[in-house]
Amino acid sequence: MTGLRLATAENGKPIFGFGERLVRSLEYLRFKAKSHNALYACETVSRVVSEQHKYRLYIEMFPKDWERSTKSLHRAGYFKAYSERTNEFFQLVNDKCFPLLEYWHDDPELELERFAIPPMNFDLCCEEVDFAHLRDSYLAGLMFYFLEDDEIWNYFSEKYAVDKESLPPIKVAHQNIWKEKHGAKARSFSDLIRLVDHSTGNPWLDITNCQYPDLFEWDKETVDWLTEAYKAANQYFKNLEQLDRRIEEDAQTFFYELISFWNTGKVGSERHKVSDE
Amino acid sequence: MQPDESPLELLRAENEQINPAIILADRLMRRDAAELLSVEEVNEAENILAVGTQEIEVIESHRKAFQKSPTSAIDYVPIGF
Repeated sequence: MTGLRLATAENGKPIFGFGERLVRSLEYLRFKAKSHNALYACETVSRVVSEQHKYRLYIEMFPKDWERSTKSLHRAGYFKAYSERTNEFFQLVNDKCFPLLEYWHDDPELELERFAIPPMNFDLCCEEVDFAHLRDSYLAGLMFYFLEDDEIWNYFSEKYAVDKESLPPIKVAHQNIWKEKHGAKARSFSDLIRLVDHSTGNPWLDITNCQYPDLFEWDKETVDWLTEAYKAANQYFKNLEQLDRRIEEDAQTFFYELISFWNTGKVGSERHKVSDE
Repeated sequence: MQPDESPLELLRAENEQINPAIILADRLMRRDAAELLSVEEVNEAENILAVGTQEIEVIESHRKAFQKSPTSAIDYVPIGF
């Protein structure tokens, strides 16, 4: 077995207060009262192994927090299926890695053997479009998916005097817009469309409330991957700022280039009225 | 298994053992939670868990089979009755 470097006395043995020893004893007695029930024994083994797995992950990911921790290894925490120490680990993941304890993870009876992540993107499938809460650039991307809805055009017409009639008509998306590699200018359009389309490859941006949630395992690779993906997802939204600025500077040119990219896979360099052919 | 063995004889012939999960659970509950299980110990626990769960399922299926067994008269009074 591996020592956990808890607070130790001079003889090297971990220091536990009376309360912790009492809780441990009560936990054992509770188990002992049911110990001849094989089903309960299987549940106990599963729970202990699961908790040990999370302790190991806690130590691996947050060794200093583990050393400083005074949370009980035996007393149940907010999520009743887990000790206070494991609950502390969940909180650390939530604070330092990605939002774990929001959304549907708020039921104290919940078992977090696998976990879901909340979608960060806007749901196209069932949400009412609330323009007031969307960035202008995101709204610009939405116009490809709400072709029959003049509300978006009216918004841009009123805010930036965009003249829809002088812009190319929106056609079927050109397959090149989904290419992995683009030049700098096309890249920002490609990222925008991928974001609106929920096809970024980033789970935080691609999942929606309308689908059965993906469930993730408690292992370091998955937690690290989700942490990086969460940062990248935030960067996606951060990148919209420069598109917003381009709209503010010259909305008409922005829309011309964006529609041109959607129709042809290239960013058009000339502004002219295009017929419906 | 002999074809002429009665269910009772079959039961009596079975090895009797405590479900290994009970023994392991007791061992785990006695140890200090601050001592992490090694990889080997986790593997052992998972194996025992599989065996223990399987044993429960087997016993449960036997119990259901016995419950479905039709009653039949016998020509002697069992000991204790």
